[in-house]
Amino acid sequence: MTDQAHNGEKVAWTEQELAEIEEIASRYPSRRSAMLPVLWMAQHKFGWLSLPVLELVAETVGVPPSEARAVASFYTMLKKKPTGRYVLQVCHTLSCALNGAEEIIRHIESKYDFDENGNTPDGLFTLERVECLASCGSGPMMQVGEHYYERLTPEKVDEILAGFESGEPLPTPRPEADEWQWNLQS
Amino acid sequence: MAMEPSILTSRWKIPDAHRIDVAMKHGAWATLPAALKMAPGEITQVVKDSGLRGRGGAGFPTGVKWGFVPPPEKRNGKPVYLVCNADESEPGTFKDRYLMWKDPHMFLEGIVISAYAIGAKAAYIYLRGEFGFVRRRVDEAIAEARAKGFIGRNILGSGVDVEVYTHLGAGAYICGEETALLSSLEGKKGQPKLKPPFPAVEGAWRAPTIVNNVETMAAVTWIVGHGAAAYREFGTEKSPGTKLLSVSGHVLKPGVYEIDMGIPMMDFIMDTAGGLRPGRKLKAVVPGGSSVPIMTPDEVARATIDYESIHEVSGSYLGSGGMIVMDDTTDLAEGLANLLRFYAHESCGQCTPCREGTGWMFRILKRVKEGRATDVDLATLKNLADNIHSKTICFFGASAAMPVQSWLKKFPDEFFGRVHRTGKVGYADVGAEPPGGDKPGGTTQAAK
Amino acid sequence: MPTVKVNGIEVEVAPGTNMIEAARQAGVDIPHYCYHPHLPVAGNCRMCLVDVEAGGRGPDIACNMQARDGLAIRTDTDNVKRMRRSVMEFLLVNHPLDCPICDQAGECRLQDYYMEHGQHHSRLADEKITRTKRQDIGDLIILDADRCIACSRCVRFSDEVTKTGELRLFNRTDHTEIGVFPGTRLSHHYQGCLADICPVGALTNKDFRFQKRSWYLRAEPSVCDRCATGCNIDVDHDHGEVFRYRPRRNDAVNKSWMCDFGRLSYKRLAAEDRILTARGPEGAEGVDAVLAGLAAAVDAAARDHGDGSVGLVLGTRATNEANWAMLRALRAAVPGARVFLVEGNDPDAFDYTDDLLVHADKNPNTAGVRLIAEADGAVGDAEALRAALADGGLRLLLVLADDVLARLGEVRRPEALAFFGTWANATSEAARWVLPLAAAQEVEGSFTNFQGRVQRLQPAIPAAGDSRPGQVLAAGLARALGEDALPAGAAGVFHDLAANVPAFFGLSLAGLGAEGALVHREPPTEQVAPPDTRPAP
Repeated sequence: MTDQAHNGEKVAWTEQELAEIEEIASRYPSRRSAMLPVLWMAQHKFGWLSLPVLELVAETVGVPPSEARAVASFYTMLKKKPTGRYVLQVCHTLSCALNGAEEIIRHIESKYDFDENGNTPDGLFTLERVECLASCGSGPMMQVGEHYYERLTPEKVDEILAGFESGEPLPTPRPEADEWQWNLQS
Repeated sequence: MAMEPSILTSRWKIPDAHRIDVAMKHGAWATLPAALKMAPGEITQVVKDSGLRGRGGAGFPTGVKWGFVPPPEKRNGKPVYLVCNADESEPGTFKDRYLMWKDPHMFLEGIVISAYAIGAKAAYIYLRGEFGFVRRRVDEAIAEARAKGFIGRNILGSGVDVEVYTHLGAGAYICGEETALLSSLEGKKGQPKLKPPFPAVEGAWRAPTIVNNVETMAAVTWIVGHGAAAYREFGTEKSPGTKLLSVSGHVLKPGVYEIDMGIPMMDFIMDTAGGLRPGRKLKAVVPGGSSVPIMTPDEVARATIDYESIHEVSGSYLGSGGMIVMDDTTDLAEGLANLLRFYAHESCGQCTPCREGTGWMFRILKRVKEGRATDVDLATLKNLADNIHSKTICFFGASAAMPVQSWLKKFPDEFFGRVHRTGKVGYADVGAEPPGGDKPGGTTQAAK
Repeated sequence: MPTVKVNGIEVEVAPGTNMIEAARQAGVDIPHYCYHPHLPVAGNCRMCLVDVEAGGRGPDIACNMQARDGLAIRTDTDNVKRMRRSVMEFLLVNHPLDCPICDQAGECRLQDYYMEHGQHHSRLADEKITRTKRQDIGDLIILDADRCIACSRCVRFSDEVTKTGELRLFNRTDHTEIGVFPGTRLSHHYQGCLADICPVGALTNKDFRFQKRSWYLRAEPSVCDRCATGCNIDVDHDHGEVFRYRPRRNDAVNKSWMCDFGRLSYKRLAAEDRILTARGPEGAEGVDAVLAGLAAAVDAAARDHGDGSVGLVLGTRATNEANWAMLRALRAAVPGARVFLVEGNDPDAFDYTDDLLVHADKNPNTAGVRLIAEADGAVGDAEALRAALADGGLRLLLVLADDVLARLGEVRRPEALAFFGTWANATSEAARWVLPLAAAQEVEGSFTNFQGRVQRLQPAIPAAGDSRPGQVLAAGLARALGEDALPAGAAGVFHDLAANVPAFFGLSLAGLGAEGALVHREPPTEQVAPPDTRPAP
């Protein structure tokens, strides 16, 4: 199973990754609890969870391939299709919507040609509408990688995306707005 | 107005309080040594006496929940697990993220103390998948605490072992529901389990499991350190202590606030949270996360922020303390459609009424919002919500139904004004008080 | 034993009984989709919501409610009716309603329950969500995910019964879709069970679909004869033409399941190799004429060469009654006849065995024949038969049901061979006399399965062609041999068997019951007279 092609690569773990998986599995009384951690590892390594990757995960965790696919299909952050290099996940749930999330999304949509899967042709961006990311007090907001970009305005979005276009790396993950600090000033 | 208490947030203002050395200078991990000298039952008793209620949303008394763990002789040799619910995904709620980010040692200390109290040797912190950056910080804090001997084997020479692990979800609101969280922790789809059995008897890996919210764990640290009586100096008789509120929407100072329970809700919104933008009027407040019923300005004016008052005044709930404030620019039909899109997107798909009903309600609301619906659709909507509420495996069904029921009931004009009136349906058909003279047949035109 | 109330009817049930089963015992049917007595409780369909009158909080689902003293539920309230209607409505919101082209029509729970509990005007004004139709996912299964109601019965079956785990509900929300991992197929031999347990038309049986509308079929109880397990079955037929076997619930044997080999073996009832007429040295003749010719040959052999020149091989594929009647007939006429039992599988047996239901022994009655042989005390095995054939002393051999020549392999054949069997084989080919033995589903009688459980057979369909039950052929042979005093009829033969074979002491054919009856492991020391269930003359 593990020698099937995925994006032209071999689908297999390295020795080091296998050791890491064993360490993760040892944290739980049941090996299959390593399912989500291993799916995350697979996504980080292979970019997305193609069928050969899901078969590898299933074999690693000790479940039928159908189970790995069922689990992957349940969670929105696990990608079942290839994505662009920067996945722009813009929250559109109530609190962000009250503060202009739709305007932000429309603004991003106007900047690029996104296909039906939300990808730009150059493979740089994927635009996703996502549900509440627990940043309601600092909306509108989007998550890119692990980073939260908060209190967005179209101008701020332009600045962020220009940075990505010029190859800027993702910032050190942290929430950007610090509401508590803001409160302190009052 | 009384000074805001700062018992859960006392270190939030201190720079680098997430570092153990800084945190310890300000009292972190000072409670654990004393707690380890107490009997586990004594700790449970203190938590019971404090009246602490679960801060995740359900408000169930924490000490009572701990008491449901079967005694060792009735566990069939199974271990006990503590799981900290850091899934925080109820729209409008973001306090746990702040708590874990600003002062992870506060809730970690509570986790170790609680694990000791219920006899758990392993604790798992389940964070929502989007909290990768939070997880890194918590993992660093765990490593620091382990290095100091607060976590791991033979803690501080007491002979007590508590391992603490973090576990990352992958994008599913339902995993905040405790049994769905456990399914997810077990490596499955995050689908709720049937109750009975309850997790305290048969939870993670079919072993007795206590699931507690992040804020609850932080509160345990303070309560065990200061005593139940000191905790009860805050809050009300039935809602003792302080509560973290996440405030969002149309207020000038959104954010996380620690409040003394029992303070007037309107004062909190208008003063502490900065009030509304100039010239705006309050239209509605969802006080405890998107799932709880909506409140009218009149109800807000009469309520104090505690479990009892909110429910008595408005039929709503304090819930997770995620307060969404809406001013008079808000289109409630659009707002409710937004929420139902959320629930239709997040239904786990397991049981029939929720799986099929949330999507159906959303599709109707979408038509209402777009002006492609009739008043009959509104009656259908209300009836569907009734048919979902309390007919499902978990509380998600009710969580999707309550907004529909309450928004229609309290703001019928917002919806009747958006639909084609056939005359077949009146306000009573959506659970609303008929405005003067309205009868089935709908003689009163909605304001528009 | 807890006592509970269902609609005011008090009923005492076994501890651990859920309220669907408790209600059934009280005569109240609680509709359900996801609940299945032999699968773990899932509680997802919500069709079994009931009101709780006392002893709990409701409404709640009956399938996950354990009977306990004081619990009282109601299923006849307006609220319960409303809840059922509502669940039906939700289930149909995204269902294609393609009943006219759906082969489940007539045995679909959506249809059945809609007529009983649903029935209101459609309130659906929005487009339905559609899912993948017509997928070929196994040798016996077509999957139409669009019709699925996500009850998860098939998922639980794959996980808990076959433990192969191929089927899963993918995605979430109302986009939940049943399926297998892309590019894979069902790998187990219980696929037909998936179609059985699917309450709707999502999983249908390729072999049966579009062959017959289910309302033309009559179901008659029987037992599968393809291995020593003896799965209980329903024979679904239209005026004697059989369209399928379905497992019939027997918690002690096959629960609600059966393997695909057994399931498809209904085709053997009308197979081309079926022996439908009697054949003698002169070709096809009537059964009585062939029996008369055979009897004459038996008499002649015994007279000319001694009793020991005549032999009988008992049949592990024939009923207890066929074996006992043949043994009695021959022993009465030729007391010194030699009797054998040759165990083994015939070439037409299927080549598959597992730990679930499929026994390595592919004969339905090996255990029964062993007990008869044991009681007789003078039955030789394959080696003894080989030896008897090798020295040429055994001249005339009667063979019941089994393909004995194939089982023995290279062996010196007897001068004359008679075969009483259902399907043509090497033994029938070599036989001078061939008598058509009716199939198990066509006869009155019993099999003893590998557990030692005696299970009753009743004629589900008429015997094909000229074929007759074994005890009838044996009685004909006995008459031709001048023996008229032997018991006749299945009940009579069984009565006689139960009086003479210690393991069967005390049993009667009519008294076997729905789950069958176990033979005595340690035969009682004193004979227990079986109840006389024969009809009065």
